[in-house]
Formats: sequence, C-alpha cells, structure tokens
Amino acid sequence: MRNLNFGYGISRPRVINLDNNDLRKSNAIIAEMPELQACIGCGSCTASCTAGNLTDFNFRRLHTAVRRGEYQGAYEEINKCMLCGKCRLVCPRGINTRELIMLIKRKLGDF
Amino acid sequence: MTFFAPFTIPFIIGSLVMFSVLLVKYILWIVRLPRIDKRLILHNIFTTKSLMAVWEIIRESLLHVRIFRINPVLGFMHASLAFGWFLLIVVGWIETIAYIGGEWVPLHGHVFFKYFMPINGITEHIWFFEQLMDALLLIVLMGVGLAWSKRLRSRLMGMRRTTKHILFDRIALTSLWFIFPARLIAESLTAAIYGGDGFLTGSIGTWLSETLPSNILLNLYEPSWWIYSSLLGIFFITLPFSRYMHIITEIPLIFLRRWKLKPTTERKSYDRFEVEACSRCGICIDPCQLQSDLGINDVQSVYFLRDRRYNMLTLKVANNCLMCGRCESKCPVGINLNTLRLNSRAKRRNIPYEGRYRYLRGMDRSSGEGRIGYFAGCMTSLTPGVQRSMESIFRAAGEEVWYADKEGGVCCGRPLMLTGETDAARKMVAYNTDLFRRHNITTLVTSCPICLRVFRESYHLDGIEILHHTEYIYRLIAEHRIDLRDDGRTFAYHDPCELGRGCGIYEEPRKILNHVGHLAEAKHNRRDAMCCGSSLANSVINDAQQLRIAQRMTEELEATGCDTIVTACPLCNKAISRVSTHVPQDVAEVVAKNILN
Amino acid sequence: MAKRVVIVGGGAAGMQTALELKSRGIEPIIIERDMDLGGKVRDWHKLFPSFTPASDVLQPIIDKVRSSRIRCLLGQEVKTFAEDGVILRSEEHVPADAVVIATGFSLFDAHRKQEYGYGLYHNVITSVDLERMMNNGRVMLADGTEPRRIAILHCVGSRDEKVCQKHCSKVCCITGVKQAIELKQMFPTADVFNFYMDIRMFGPGYEELYREAQQRYNIHFVRGRISEAAQTINDRIQIKAEDTLTGRPLRMSVDMLVLLVGMSANRDNEALAAASNLSLAPNGYFQTKDSFLGAVQSERPGIFYAGAATAPKSLADTLAEASMTASAVERYLRDKYNNR
Repeated sequence: MRNLNFGYGISRPRVINLDNNDLRKSNAIIAEMPELQACIGCGSCTASCTAGNLTDFNFRRLHTAVRRGEYQGAYEEINKCMLCGKCRLVCPRGINTRELIMLIKRKLGDF
Repeated sequence: MTFFAPFTIPFIIGSLVMFSVLLVKYILWIVRLPRIDKRLILHNIFTTKSLMAVWEIIRESLLHVRIFRINPVLGFMHASLAFGWFLLIVVGWIETIAYIGGEWVPLHGHVFFKYFMPINGITEHIWFFEQLMDALLLIVLMGVGLAWSKRLRSRLMGMRRTTKHILFDRIALTSLWFIFPARLIAESLTAAIYGGDGFLTGSIGTWLSETLPSNILLNLYEPSWWIYSSLLGIFFITLPFSRYMHIITEIPLIFLRRWKLKPTTERKSYDRFEVEACSRCGICIDPCQLQSDLGINDVQSVYFLRDRRYNMLTLKVANNCLMCGRCESKCPVGINLNTLRLNSRAKRRNIPYEGRYRYLRGMDRSSGEGRIGYFAGCMTSLTPGVQRSMESIFRAAGEEVWYADKEGGVCCGRPLMLTGETDAARKMVAYNTDLFRRHNITTLVTSCPICLRVFRESYHLDGIEILHHTEYIYRLIAEHRIDLRDDGRTFAYHDPCELGRGCGIYEEPRKILNHVGHLAEAKHNRRDAMCCGSSLANSVINDAQQLRIAQRMTEELEATGCDTIVTACPLCNKAISRVSTHVPQDVAEVVAKNILN
Repeated sequence: MAKRVVIVGGGAAGMQTALELKSRGIEPIIIERDMDLGGKVRDWHKLFPSFTPASDVLQPIIDKVRSSRIRCLLGQEVKTFAEDGVILRSEEHVPADAVVIATGFSLFDAHRKQEYGYGLYHNVITSVDLERMMNNGRVMLADGTEPRRIAILHCVGSRDEKVCQKHCSKVCCITGVKQAIELKQMFPTADVFNFYMDIRMFGPGYEELYREAQQRYNIHFVRGRISEAAQTINDRIQIKAEDTLTGRPLRMSVDMLVLLVGMSANRDNEALAAASNLSLAPNGYFQTKDSFLGAVQSERPGIFYAGAATAPKSLADTLAEASMTASAVERYLRDKYNNR
C-alpha cells in the first residue's frame, strides 16, 4: 500500500529529472489534449474534488506529475476518481478534466 | 407447368442466400441470449403479447405509423414501399390461385407470374387482377420516386440532413431503386407483345407496340426479365449485409420487445436485433444538437449504429454523444439508442484491481435524522442556493430530514456508468444503498436528475420512495403543507434531459411554477427540450463547444421574454449562468423565496 | 466658432477628457446615463497604491467640470455613435465634430458564481461592497460585530472561462492587497487571507505595497482558488481551496469573504458597436485601431476612446489616457478643418 501512496513526497526524495524521464506518454497525452498546457495550477479541481474530499487524492498534482513524466503509481492513484465531473465545471481554463482522467488511464494502462 | 426459365436463376440464388443468412443470424442471436432473456421468451410467447406484436408489425413494419406522425411525406414513402410491396406479393399469390387454382407453384412462379401466365396470351386475362396489380405497382413506384427525390433534395422531405451510406448500402439501394422500374418495363414489354389490360403496363405496352418494331420488342423481352430478376437477386444477396436488413429484422425485434426483452448496460446478442433493425432513415440526425449547433456530422445514432454493426466503432464516436435522448424520442423503430451507446462504452469497465475505492469502507459523513433522506448530489454543492432552499422548504413543511451528503458524499455512480465503467459504478451503488438502508429512510429526495435516474434505474431501493425535489415539493403543495405567494413573475422553464426524457418528469415543475407566477414555454419544450451541453455523457466536446450549445439553448429561453429562467438541475443551472444575462434559478429557489408559512 | 465634441460617459475618463479638450479650446458635451457625474469611482473609498481618498481625486474634477460650464446631458443614453455626433435613445441627434466613447466597464455580477454564495450568505461581500462600507464609515458583519478572520478571493469574474471572462481585470490584485491592509488597519487582531492564482503587481509602488502587506501587516497569501463556500450554523463561511504550494486541500472557516469582482465589458457594447459600425475585441470591450499609435482611436475616423471602454484600466491609467485622447481629437479636428 505504501508504494500506492502517490504524491506525498517525504518518502520519495528523488528529483524530477527531465533528462531521464520518458516523456513519450506525456507528450502523447498533451498531443491529444493540447488545452492541458493551459493549466495555471489554481487548484480548483482538487479543491472541489468529490474523491479528494474523502481520501488523499490530488488531481492537480497527479496530472502535473504525469506531464513531467512521473508515471509511477499514477494509474492506481487516478482510479480513486469517481468521474463525477465537478472539476470540469469549476476549471477556469475550460480544460476537459474529466476526459483527461480517462485519457491518462488509457495511456497508462487501461485496455 | 414447370414455371422455369433461365432468367429466374439470379432471383432463386438471391432468395436462397438471403433466407439462409437470415436464418443463421437470427438463430445464432437467439441461442446466444442470456438465460434470463430466454426464460422471458418462453414465459411470454403464448400470451396476448404475441398478438399485440402482430398488430404492431402491421402498424410499424408495413404502414409506418410512427414515421407518418413525425413526417407525413417520409411516412408515405416508407408505407408505399413496404406496404405496397407486401400487397404486391400477397395479391400476386391470390392472383396465381385465381388463375390456376390451389396447385403448388414455386416462389419464382409467383414473382414472375406475368412472364409465365397468361401463357403467351392463350389464357384469358383476369381484368380485376390486372388493374389491381398495376395500381399496387404504381403505389410502389411513387415511393421509389420519393426516395429518389429524397436523395437529391432531403429538404423536400422536411429533413435537413440525410444519411451518408456505406458501399453495401449503395449497391442495395441502387438495385432497390431500379427493381420496380425494371418490373414495369418487363411487364410492359410482355403486354406489348402478348397483350394486357392493365391501365399501367397495358397502356405502356400498347404504346410500345405502336412505336417500336416487333423484332426490337422481341429482342428486348427476355433481357428485360433478366434485368428484373438480377436486380432482385442482387438486392436479396446484399440485404442481410446492408441497412435493408431492417425490413425483416424489425419483425423479430417487435416480438422480442413485446416479450419484455430489452438492452442493458452489458452487451448481449439481443442488441444485434436492435442494431440491425435500424433503417438508417436519418431521422435522428436533425434533432442532434452536436449537428445543429456544432456541425459534427459523423457521430449521430445512425452512424453510431452503422459503425457498431460493421465493427468499426471508435471510442471517439461512441463517446461523442450528449445522451440527451432527443434522437431516441424520435426514432421510428424505437431503438434504445442511449442504452446501446452506453454498453458500447463498456469496454473499459473492468478496472483490474480489487482495492479500487477501498477508501469508501466504513465512511459515513451524513448528518441529521429523519425518515426523509436528502441527497443533494455532487454538482449541487456548486449551486448552494438549491441546497439552502431545500433546507428551508423542509423546515417550512416541518419535516425531519437526514442529510446524506451535506459534508460531501459519495458519487451516485452514474457518471462512471456513462463512461462505461459499470463494474466500478457498482461499488458506489453498493455504498450508497447500504448508507440509505442503515439510516432507515423511507423517502429519498434528490436535487440532481442524474442521481435520480440512477437511483431509479440501477439501485434496488425497494421500500424507499425515490423523488426528485420537484416531485416532492409539488406533493407538499398539493397536500397544503406549504403555501406559496404569487409573485407575478414570468418563468421560462428549461427541462433537464435526465429529468424530462430521462425520468419523464415534465409537469411537476410546471405546476409548481404556475403556483408562483406564469409560465412561458420555449420553442422546444418537454420531450423536445434542448440539452444544455454540459451533459456528463459526452467526454469529447470541448469547453467552447459546450458553451455554444448552452448559448443556443439559452437564447430560446430568453426569447420567451421571461423575467426568470428556471431549471431543476445543477448542471443546467451552471450552463445557463455561463451565458445568460439572467441569473438562472432552480425550482426549489423560486419556491423557497415565496413560502408563506 | 469652437469645434464641438460629444463625450459619452461622465465618469473619470469622460470628465478628464472634457477638461483636457476645454483647455485646448474645444467645446465638449458630456452625455451621462446616471443623474450624477463621477461614474464608478464615486463608490470607491481610497485608491491604491497611495491610499489617497478617492474623493480627493474625483471631487476636484467634478468641481472643475462644473466651473468650466461644460454642458452635461444627464440621464441620457446613447443609441448610435457617428463622426458627426450621436443619436440618443430618445432619437434626438446631438451634432458634433468628433465623438469620444468613455463608457467604461461593468462590474462582474458575483451572483453568477453561485458557489461563492454571494447573495445567499450574509457575510459574503464584493470588493465594491467593502468600499461602500468603508465610505459609510463602518465595516462589520451582518450581525454588527467585527470580523476576526477574513478571506479575500482574487479573480472572481476574471480569467474565468466558465463565466466567459477570459481576460485579467488588472486592478483586482492590487485592490486585494490594498483592501487587506485596510482591513488589517481596522481590525489589527484579525487574520486576513488572500487566495490567489497569480499575483500581478504591474504598477509603480504595487510590488512594494504587496511586500508591505506580507511583512508589515502579516497578511497571509494562499496560492489557490477557492472552489466552494458554505455557510455554517453560526453564520460563518466555510471555504474550500487547494493550498497548491503544499499540494493539499485546505478548508477553513472565516467570518467574512470578500470577492474581488472583475471588470466586464458593458453588455450593451454589442448593440452599440453593431449600430455604429465599430468592432469589439473578443472580451467584449471596444477594439482600438492598434495597440501602439492608435490606442485611443477607433477604426472610424472621428470616433475616439478614453478609459476602460477599451480594456480594464486603473484610475491613474484612465486619467493619463484622457490627455492622449484629447490630443488625438485636437489633431484630428485640426487636420480636418485646415485641409478644407
């Protein structure tokens, strides 16, 4: 369970090394959804998140990490999402966050 | 009499191929049905339901009453082709009997009866059948003519768009277009050479014999029958693989439906009957707002069913649908378009690991106590006006209420289902069901039509009455538990898709608003109401596209000249507030502001 | 005979342009929708970044307009602009040699962000409400007590595609800092939290004020946009945000929530532009000829802009622009009538 605890950095001291990280999946995600680059990290998605209200799930951090090529544990983490769609309703940049979740799932392992 | 000529071979081969393919298909689909469906068939087959089915087949497969209602010209086109052709066959049989009595005649003997009988003008023509068969042929030809003009100018038929077809359809369509003209020519040539009294074929025949030399007529005679037979053969061979499969498939479908079979969130072979019963008439294209507002032309139900049938369905097409139900409500075949769309998405539903949503275990954030449970819904926390209004309505009615999700609840599961994750959704269903049971509620009121629909359709909450807040409020008014003042405003009410077409709730919100003020109806309302574009069912369109749909929809509401736009769904509310000069209100807010007690 | 210029809008931009024109020997006429001159600044208490009372700036301008006997048509609305004058709602034609559009902006209607509870909860107010309270001499909660914990939310109706306001309103960041300091001065023991997405301190003295707010007044800046507000049983407001710098959801109760409402283009810009053959920028403001040498000119000769009709602007920028507009008008009239 420990290694599923994605995100909270204390147990994961390593740097984000963009020289070594494999950005192919990240690039593929951005290519399918260019609007993701418009994220200004306001945190509205995380703050309104139904799942994030019940457990430690942080969608903003997760998709930011994925964009940086940090995929480890991301798939398990993203499956905490209930797809309720509130995040899409509050995103001030009009990002299709709900589809983004499914897109990340698709690229990182589902079917 | 042998009733054989070489030109009948294409027809014989065609019909043999068609009947065997049909037989194999139907048998396979029936055999593969889940046991519960088979039991339903056995249970209902010898009941009046089967008689009802026969009656429906006459109305729908032959007369096309439903298409008539939506579009009379289109209805006539379908009826003249289907019913006309049917009568041609039936009357053809009777005609055969009239000529030669009850003697057995092979199928092609009936179809090409004019070739075989009367034998080279030796036998007497029966005047009555000559006229009747010609009249029927004329009716069918009129249908063909309409079909031609529909291709040329769909607007003539009151349709803005008509369907784009695949190759098989084109072959079948082309042969169908020329079958009856070919028959007309063949029968007219026969009449020209051997005589005939029919007002159509007979007259053309007389005219032909007067204009063309007899050696040319004789040279054209056999080839014309060859062409007619070949066209029939081609049509029959392509039929099971083209959209014309619907002609026959509608018949078993109507029986199965009468026997209470229906599609579910999981694919099954029953779906094949529905998918192949689609005639690709294209009636579903015009009501689709993705088409009218965004110009997206390849995702509508007709294309979705086509792609699914030929195994070329992409996720993008399956997911690009608002599931607003506008097309479903217009489908003349009554195909469950939304359910089929839903179970097409179900490819990704099994997320492998068991621990998913383990965090729900033992969680209970509910508050208060009472027999009435209130489930606001995730989205409602973004429209706190609705929540607060419900609280004050409960207070005014003196109701003790248990609040399921005031401090944040667990999603109802429908959003997961809409993306095809039905197995994952089951965890939400189980969690919430358990929560409701544990708190012993007898009534569950929700403010979110999405939640309402899944509570009614996918939860097993026997003993708990499930109400949308508009139904609940209307009941309070009817029972005089709350009194409302007339505030004189004019309201335009927007029907949310999931509440209206989804749950059939159209009148309660209107009756409530009529208590408080006047109602102004938008151009499209009730079953025809527009979608706000924010539907969770569509994960493909982007923000700007959602906005455009919301704009078009809101413009109609504003055009009523109302004082306030009212809706009953937090998602619609948000969509309207994006674009409107009016700040939209929920029915609950209107009520809460005008409570007298 | 002096040339006549119609100025539409009697706010800071319109009045200052009128004064500048008058000093150049041109006769201005101000047309104002309200029954008073002054526009939006009338509601303001003190101005950033210097805390100058707004009336110290506005009143002298109004007085000067009156003493210079500039003609003002009050309570009149304009239907169409043209280079030879304007047509009023009443169909009256007011002839002129040039027209200046100084119609300003509208405040974003905070009711449209229902999730913040404006109009629903007692102690959710907008930045404009706060200025009015300060003008009235007392800032307090609905029950008359003093707030002990206050949250200020930046970007309400700015940079938000969900309400079709894609632009930055420019002045809210510094207003938020100013108001935080003012609140802290009024209630020294209170805690003030500013919730922001980005802090944009573009003007002279702004960055310094920001630093002062942090260091001297101990105002807390939280990087995260509030997503929802709910009223608690004891009339406090519970807000939800993500503290994006720690990456964790943040929840707190405050006594008062101040929404920094953005500047929106006027709703009637669309009809005016269509009737007058002018175009609008994507954010709904009037489109200037270009951003550099034609920043106060419209696409039609003889029609000019001043102030926030073309984009969100601070009062200082607006007043400076008034002289630019006046010189552009003067140059236009000189060229037009000398060439005859």
